[in-house]
Amino acid sequence: MSSSTSVGDLVSQPYKYGFVTDIETDKIDKGLSEDVVRLISSKKDEPQFLLDFRLRAYKQWLRMEEPDWATLGHPAIDYQEMIYYAAPRQQEKKASLDEVDPKLLETFEKLGIPLSEQKRLSNVAVDAVFDSVSIATTYREKLAEHGVIFCSISEAVKDHPDLIERYLGTVVPSNDNFFAALNSAVFSDGSFVFIPKGVACPMELSTYFRINSGDTGQFERTLIVAEEGASVSYLEGCTAPMFDTNQLHAAVVELVTLDDASIKYSTVQNWYAGDENGVGGIYNFVTKRGHCRGDRSHISWTQVETGSAITWKYPSCVLQGADSVGEFYSVALTNNLQQADTGTKMVHVGPRTRSTIVSKGISAGRSSNSYRGLVQIGPKATGARNYSQCDSMLIGDQAAANTYPYIRSQQPEASVEHEASTCRISADQLFYLQSRGIGFEEAVSMMVSGFCRDVFNQLPMEFAAEADKLLALKLEGSVG
Amino acid sequence: MVAAMSNSASNSAAVAASSWVTTFLERLPAPAGELEAVQWRGREALSRQPLPTRRQEDWRFTDLAPLTALTPALAPAGEQGSWPEPAAGAVRLWLDAPGDPLAGQSLPAGISLLGADEVQQALGHTLAACNCEQHWPVELNQASAPRVLALRVSAVVAPILELVSQAAGDGVMRPVRVLLLLEEKASLEVLQVQLGSGSSLTSLVIEAHLGRESTLRHGLLALGESPACFLGHLAVEQEPRSLLESVWASHGWALSRFEPRVVQVDGEATTSLKALQLADGQQLADTHSRVEFRGPEGQLDQLHKAIADDRGRSVFNGAVKVPRAAQRTNASQLSRNLLLSNQARIDTKPELEIVADDVRCAHGATVSRLQTDELFYLQSRGLSAAVAAGLLKRGFCEEVLRALPAAAAAWRPLQRLLGEA
Repeated sequence: MSSSTSVGDLVSQPYKYGFVTDIETDKIDKGLSEDVVRLISSKKDEPQFLLDFRLRAYKQWLRMEEPDWATLGHPAIDYQEMIYYAAPRQQEKKASLDEVDPKLLETFEKLGIPLSEQKRLSNVAVDAVFDSVSIATTYREKLAEHGVIFCSISEAVKDHPDLIERYLGTVVPSNDNFFAALNSAVFSDGSFVFIPKGVACPMELSTYFRINSGDTGQFERTLIVAEEGASVSYLEGCTAPMFDTNQLHAAVVELVTLDDASIKYSTVQNWYAGDENGVGGIYNFVTKRGHCRGDRSHISWTQVETGSAITWKYPSCVLQGADSVGEFYSVALTNNLQQADTGTKMVHVGPRTRSTIVSKGISAGRSSNSYRGLVQIGPKATGARNYSQCDSMLIGDQAAANTYPYIRSQQPEASVEHEASTCRISADQLFYLQSRGIGFEEAVSMMVSGFCRDVFNQLPMEFAAEADKLLALKLEGSVG
Repeated sequence: MVAAMSNSASNSAAVAASSWVTTFLERLPAPAGELEAVQWRGREALSRQPLPTRRQEDWRFTDLAPLTALTPALAPAGEQGSWPEPAAGAVRLWLDAPGDPLAGQSLPAGISLLGADEVQQALGHTLAACNCEQHWPVELNQASAPRVLALRVSAVVAPILELVSQAAGDGVMRPVRVLLLLEEKASLEVLQVQLGSGSSLTSLVIEAHLGRESTLRHGLLALGESPACFLGHLAVEQEPRSLLESVWASHGWALSRFEPRVVQVDGEATTSLKALQLADGQQLADTHSRVEFRGPEGQLDQLHKAIADDRGRSVFNGAVKVPRAAQRTNASQLSRNLLLSNQARIDTKPELEIVADDVRCAHGATVSRLQTDELFYLQSRGLSAAVAAGLLKRGFCEEVLRALPAAAAAWRPLQRLLGEA
């Protein structure tokens, strides 16, 4: 038992990325009403269709109730106590990074994501979202040469309203669920990616989100469209500063793939999870869904979830096109009083659609980590296949690991396989590694890394390194 | 507008549900007999709880329409059907006999009837331990069951105890209640046969308390004919080093729902659950099991098999709870489903909740049709496609059926299940 106690000490590291950048922020009064929705829309100078979309969503939201089916416990959220719009006072567009507020750049430096570094050293275009409005977008010209559009949603609304009108809300309808409706009503900004027909995006696209203002719920909206034969890999990473009040994050991500298109969406999430008593921390209620509209299209979700007080997130794939493929690879680490209820939905509609689910949950402290998944095989999905695997690792005897896989099948010509197991870091394995001269801490880290390898292998190179760093961060420290 | 419409639809459904319960209660005779107090309680509870709805997570996949289509009334006594002779070494009790089911029968050595005081004390204890005394199907049984077969098992009982009950005819309600107390080191093998036909409703509640080192082998063969419905509930409390082997097979009911709930009160016990359910026609076969370990070193081996054919629908929900006290638990659960028709449907949902770190828990689920390579192999040996498919189906069923108590063979379960009788 002593080994698991010290493993417990290991994972109880204070949040290293906790800090507040002191920048003037343009906020509106707290509270939510139809006027606020109109104000957000007018501040962003939006066309009528978008205002209508927001208002419709707001009206639907008013009629909805916060879902309570997940095994999550949190104090009631007062939606009137939140601020629904905050934009950093950075009115003019920057021609280069030199013009950006040095404090902002410093923030990114602290996060280990130096834009300038990345710009020079890696081939990654970064659309850094600081609070709600885009600050800098790089590599846009190079992408434009290939016809790729990578910009903030606000810009896309101005420059490509036809595309927004055609795709926004078609994957996650505004009345999909409580949080999606809230997001649809008040979303502030986010990213828009459009890959035209036949184009393989020449570089990996990346956005760093960051919550910075104490009472600002962040309502990001991401829309990625890959036309026939197009492909893109998109990376999303998050950190947030330490705060005492709980912050709500209700993002919506929509992916659309047409015939033969492919989208790979990777996330590393390390938001503030609250202290060891569960004070503070982000509530992360996210709706992520991909729609394989075209034949032979492909959507892959990879996520590494290590943060947030509460994670409520089910990246899903609707596999409509024949022979389309959906994938979900997830690592979720919870510690202290963190609660994660995450998983995926694979809805097989078209024939010969295939999906793979690999989920790895690590629970430590008094946290609770649930996998909740749905595999649904519709009556027309002949020859569909699904394989799901969810493994849990428990560290300490107070953490909970729950598994709730739903399987519904209406097609005899389909096959569904699900398996789940649970394990722990056992004393004899630790002893073995230590007897080979590997330090305790490193041994734990190695075993966790090994446990998660199936998922890390799916991450793009740079991200895999970051994910490894994140888990190591959670696991490093003095051994008791 | 849409919301308003669905609201009014659900309102009218709620009205229909409460009127079904009201009619059901009105048709019951006044509470009387040894279970009078229980009946009062059950009726009171039912009048407060209308039917479960699909908005409740536990009933999400279970459409109770076949049940509400029935207008069951308590049948005073049944008629014996043309049943096979009991197998050698089996003692048959006919539970719906007009008088005392034990009349003219002597119980095997090691089994005795519980006295009225003991029944009063013990009845409902295990249900409470399993947190299901207020569960709707249990209340339905409590409201209506006129008597309980309450047995104490104090030694190793050699003969198989066969309990037969039949609900035949339209509008018949057959509530069956059984209470088994197994003392330390006692052992009993029970085969329960539930038959149903016509628009009848069978409600079964079994409570069993397994003392230390005792063994209960319980087989349930539930064979119905649509539109008959079956609601069964098995609640078992296991003390350390006891063994429970429960096997159930069901087929033919318009709606069947079986709910085994097992609690290992101090761990260290062994539980084996095996099930086979077949749903064809428009049948709905549902199993909701729950196993809870309240102490260390418990073992669970669960296998649930289902075949859905035609427009049948099979539902499985298997919860396994491993709290902090249940270190070194070893639990495995497997749900295997055959989906044989385009219009059939399988819903399966294993649920694993673990708060202990030193445990081995695994679960698996598969849904598929018959394997093409297996079919091909048999055809290559000269069997026709239909014969090959039949053989594979039999093999699929046999794995569970052969675990039934030996006395089950007389009922020819395989032939009945596969409709070859």
